[in-house]
Order: sequence, then C-alpha cells, then structure tokens
Amino acid sequence: MLPDPIDRATLPRATLTPPRRRRISAIWLIPLIAAAVAIGIAVNRIMNEGPTITIVFSSAEGVEAGKTFIKYKDVKIGQVTAVELYQEYSKVMVTARIDKHAAGLMVEDANFWVVAPRVTLSGVSGLGTLLAGNYIGFEQGHANRAGRRFVGLEVPPAVTIDQPGRQFQLKADDMGSLGIGSPLYFRRLQVGQVIAYALADDGKSVSIRVFVNAPYDRFVGTDTRFWNASGVDVSLGAGGLDLRTQSLVSLLIGGIAFESPGFAATSEPAAAGSAFPLYGDRTTAMKQPDTIARSYVLYFSESLRGLSVGAPLTLLGLPAGEVTQVGVDLDPVKLAVRGRVEVVAYPERIVARLQTQQSAAGQAIVQSEQATHAVFKRLVEERGLRAQLRSGSLLTGQLLVALDFFPEAGKPDVDWTQATPAIPTVPSTVPDLEAKVTAILAKIDALPFKAIGADLKKVIESLDKTLKDVNKAVNRIDTGLTPELVSTVTDLRRALDSADRLIKSTDATLLGEDAPGQIQLRDALEEIAGAARAVRGLSDYLERQPASLIRGKTEKTP
Amino acid sequence: MTISALTAARAGLVSCGTCGLLAAPTSPAAPGHCPRCGARLAARRRGSVETTWALVIAAAICYVPANLLPVLGTTTLGSTEYDTIMGGVVFLFTSGSWPLALIVLIASVMVPLGKLLALAYLLITVQRGSVASNRERTRLYHLVVFIGRWSMLDVFVDTFTVALVQLSPLMSVQPGAGVVFFAAVVVLTMIAAESFDPRLIWDAGTETEPDVA
Repeated sequence: MLPDPIDRATLPRATLTPPRRRRISAIWLIPLIAAAVAIGIAVNRIMNEGPTITIVFSSAEGVEAGKTFIKYKDVKIGQVTAVELYQEYSKVMVTARIDKHAAGLMVEDANFWVVAPRVTLSGVSGLGTLLAGNYIGFEQGHANRAGRRFVGLEVPPAVTIDQPGRQFQLKADDMGSLGIGSPLYFRRLQVGQVIAYALADDGKSVSIRVFVNAPYDRFVGTDTRFWNASGVDVSLGAGGLDLRTQSLVSLLIGGIAFESPGFAATSEPAAAGSAFPLYGDRTTAMKQPDTIARSYVLYFSESLRGLSVGAPLTLLGLPAGEVTQVGVDLDPVKLAVRGRVEVVAYPERIVARLQTQQSAAGQAIVQSEQATHAVFKRLVEERGLRAQLRSGSLLTGQLLVALDFFPEAGKPDVDWTQATPAIPTVPSTVPDLEAKVTAILAKIDALPFKAIGADLKKVIESLDKTLKDVNKAVNRIDTGLTPELVSTVTDLRRALDSADRLIKSTDATLLGEDAPGQIQLRDALEEIAGAARAVRGLSDYLERQPASLIRGKTEKTP
Repeated sequence: MTISALTAARAGLVSCGTCGLLAAPTSPAAPGHCPRCGARLAARRRGSVETTWALVIAAAICYVPANLLPVLGTTTLGSTEYDTIMGGVVFLFTSGSWPLALIVLIASVMVPLGKLLALAYLLITVQRGSVASNRERTRLYHLVVFIGRWSMLDVFVDTFTVALVQLSPLMSVQPGAGVVFFAAVVVLTMIAAESFDPRLIWDAGTETEPDVA
C-alpha cells in the first residue's frame, strides 16, 4: 500500500538502451594488414640500405645515374645514384648507394675504377661491358677504417688484392720499354706482371713494382736476378753476336725475366716486397756477384785499338774479370809512351769453377788480398803468368786481355806491394803474326835473285849449246847416210818388181781360167764325183739287199 | 532541393537491397528479412561509412608503396633495371613522348589518387551531415564507381608484358612488388566505392536520422 499514490504517468521512464556494439568492425583488419605490409617493406628497405659513398673520377665514361652498378667479383654491391661535375668542373663525382651486405667493404683504401672495354697489347678486357654497359669495378682494401669518399683509379689495378702471389720491388736505371701490365717471365713462362712504377725521389732511378703469381712466387729467392727482357737484346761483343728475346709480346710491350743463377746455393724464398736490382740484360744479371775484386794494371807497348772498357779478362780462356780503364802511361823522363790498361779480377769466378774439394782452399785465398797477390806473384814468377792482348772476335776486331802461362818468359820485376800491382805482359799474338809475315817477306827479300839470274843464264846458254850439237849430229846423219839409203831403196824396189812378176806368172799357170793346171784339176774332180756317185749307188743297194754281198746281185729289182 | 520528399526511411519502410521490394520492417532496430528474396533487410547498408573508411585508408596506405616500389623489372643482356610508375612517366617525358607520359600520369597516378580523395570527401561530408551539392556528390560517386573497373588496366598491361617478354638471355621482364600494391589500391577503392551507400548523401537534413555508424 502506498500512502501517496504516484502518478505513474509523471514518473520518468527507464530507457531501453540497446547494448552499444562498440566493438571494432573486422573491416579494420584490412588497413591494418596493408599498413603492416607497407611498414614491413619500408623497414626492410631501410635496414638493407647501405652507406652512400662518393667516388671522384677524372672522367666517368659510360657511368649513368640509376643505371651503372658497382660490382665486386661480378656481384652487384651498389648502384650509382648521381653523377655530377666536381672541383671547378675538372673531375666527376659519382655518388653511389652501397648495398647493406657490402657496407663492410667500404674501407679507406678500397679502389674503384670504371670498367670499359679495353684493348691493350697484353690483352682484351671488359668485353662484357660492350653489351651490358660500363660498370664500376671495386677492389677491396686493407684498412680497418671505413671510408665514404674515394678517388677512382684511371686504369684497373693489374692484380686484385686477393690474388695469391707476392709483390717485389725492382730498382732500375730507367723504365726501358716497360709499362704497367708488362709481363714477367720465369723460364719464358709468364708468371706475373708489372703493377706499378714510380720515379725515385732523386730522379736517378725508377722503382718498379712487380707481382708474381702463386705458385711461381716461391721461385723468387733472395739471390734471384731480374733483368729487363724488353724487345730484342742484341749484343755484339768479344763473345760474338748474341741475340735474345723472351716472347713476341715482350718484343712489343717489354717484359722482365727472372731466374736464380746456377752457381747460387738453394736460397730461401724472398719476403714479399723485397727489393731487387733490375739488370739491363741477362748476361749482366747472371754474373757472379763479384764481392771480391782485385785490381791490376797492365802496360802494353802495342796498339790498344779494339780494347774497350768492359772487355773480358780471361784466365786460360775462362772469364776472370774485366777491363775497367784503358789509357796511356807517360814516362816524363824517358818520354816513353805505353798503353796502360787497368783490369779488375774477380777471383771468385775462378774459385767457382774449382772442384768442390778445392774450392774451400780457393775461397780462403781469395778472401785475403795479400794471399791473392801472393798466389799471383808465384804464378807470375814461377809459372810465367803473363797478360796478353788477344783478338776476341775476328769479325769485330774486339780485343780481350788474356792471362796465360809463358814458361819461357823470364823472371820479371814486379812491385807486389802496390795496391794495384802491374802484371807483366807479353806482346800479343796479333802483332806476332804481323812480325812473322814481315820476317818471311824479309827472307824473301834477302834471296840472291841476281846470282840465281846469272846461274839461270848460264844454264840456258849451255842448253843452247847442247841443242846446237844435236842439230849438228842430225845434219851429219843426213849427209852421210842418205845416198846409201837411196841405193838401198832402189834395190829394194827392183826386188819387189821381180817378186811382182813372179806372182803374176804363177797366177797365169796355176789360177787362170785356161791354165792347164786348172783344167786338169777340174777333170780330176769330176772323176772323183763320178766315183762317189757309184759308191753311193752301191751303198744304197747294199742297204736294201744286204744278202747280195753273199749271194750276188739279183735281176729282180724292187 | 526539396528535403520534404517522401523517402522509404521516413515512411518507416525498408527497400530490399537485393530485389528492391519495399517492405515494412519487423522493427526499426532489426528489420528482418525480405519476404520475396530472403535477403537481409537494412534501411541503409550496415556499417557503410565505417567499412568505406577502412577500405579507403587501406588503399591510401597501399598507394604509397605502389608508387615507390618498382612495378616492372627489365633485364636486357644481363643488366636489370627496375622502374617505378613515376620513373616511367619521367622516362617517357624526357624521351620526348610527353602525351604518353601524360596518359600514364593521369591513368596510373592521378586517377587512383583522385578516387581516394573523392571517397574521402564523400565520407567526410556524409559524416558532417552536409546538405550542400548533394547532386554533384552523387555524380562524383557514380564517376568513382564507373572509373573503378578501368583502373585495373595498368595491372593488366603489366602482367601481359611480363608474360610475353620472356626472351630469356636477351631480354626479360619481371613484375615488381609495386604492381601488387597498385592492384591492391585499385581493388580496395572499388570495394570501398561499392560499400559506400550513396543514399547517405541524401539523408542529411531529413527528419529521419539514420544510423550512420
């Protein structure tokens, strides 16, 4: 019961609120998925984006923004995004974006270069770019610090950093015909190449860097000799004409060859970057390293024409040194002028040719100057060692200095205490020959041609007389014998005539047609023929009728 | 523009969205099903604005990668080049064929963008209950629906090129990721245009405020 009835109509009515479906419609998943995918791609892009680098080239041949790639080992590691001029329009600056995976390669000393088709004498490279367009080549560096600004190379590096092998430094007087890429030969096999060269700071030499590919680099030992094998090496010396070349390529673009000399003991391989001298030719390179040199002076009183500095000094024909100076010596008192030749002997060269048992003793001798001089002194005084000029080559007329033994030579007077002792000389065989010819001529000259002439005249006169006597004898025979000979001949003719007649009469009596002998003979022959016929008839009959011999001839005839 | 015109909504009736039968709903909250075709009845498309918004936003998101990512990769003799839509437009323009560049620019860049803007404009005006230029907005809606079916042309050309140009060592064409997004933009805007109920344009200013949520 309610005390105060409520007017229900005036009461506020409760509202029926439908449950608000405020849940988010499933359709919103679509933009969420789209956003997720788009953000995912964007994040992926950003994550994969590597550094942006700039490379300065002096010319960007065929490099285009957005089209040129940077490739390392033929793998794309980046793309050029912009190409613009730089530094007062003198250079080209290429901006490139590097892929994330290659970002670690961008170190300070990395190299870049434009790969374009390249035709050089040593080969053709980059042909693939003819179709696919140029690209930027990349070469790893050693540095640890990352780099973002690089200076591009003008030519591709000759060897890549990861190519197995070693570099060596060569020092030469000049470049010759060498250049980057010039081949390096070992036993005429190309094993490397020239990768760089630079002029020394003082401008007096060039330093050439060569790269020897593995496994050939182990043949470069500490004693290996390098020489310039450029072109044709023609040398015309006392040794005759010598012509050497490595290959046709080296003929055109030059080359370097190396070899370890045979006399060298097996040496350990040279360390990378070792420096070697570059010799001008093989002969020079392969010479024994002449660490010990003994100088001597020789005085010649003959022409030194044909003897040049560098001419060989031989001992028993083996190379033992060389001529270092050719000059004259003037005695101011006696005004005597004679040729003075300074030679340097490398005793090691002779020792190198000794037997192994003897070489140790030889080495001991050559190490000391006194010992060497002492040996020389004994050789000169006891064995007659003398220096002599000899013709090295008849073709060129080059002379060489030969040390040889002339036991008949007397004991000379040599001051062995001097730094450069004078080895006594003997006149060369070339002037000797001349002297001999002269002597022969003199002898001919000395012949008594006049006496010989007189004798000859006498002989001829007596010969004449003899001939006259012969003539006289013939005349005597003529006058004394001829009349008798004539009568003899007449008699002989008469005798012949009578013989002739005799023969003719014989002819008439015996052989003529009507000669009585002839007729008789014919009759006799006819008789014999008749007798023969009768005998034949008889024999025929007897053959048929043998019985008739007993019984007599029958009348019946067959 | 008379806003006093009789509408089904004002009369408390619902037009079937499928067969067009005008029927009395069982209740305004739950209109029931069409007695003729059995389709579910609704005074306005359910969640039209929300769905359209969602699709428009999704399409707008996809529009960004569609233009940034390459749509086509051309491999010529070993070197592959990827091109975006704008890259193609720039290439065509710089190589002198500016009419072609203009066509590509309009068809592939401006039109999708225009559709997105148009839908967004329609949605905003509907939500703000704008009563101005209803006829023009309806015309805009029809234009968006009409253009929608032609927008797949780019995707069509792209796929055809990829399928035809496969001369393997010499030249080949690969599709880029961008074309997928481009197709997504086109498809999403088409669905968004379909899910938008143009009758909402005319609802503003009438007595019966429909549930626009």
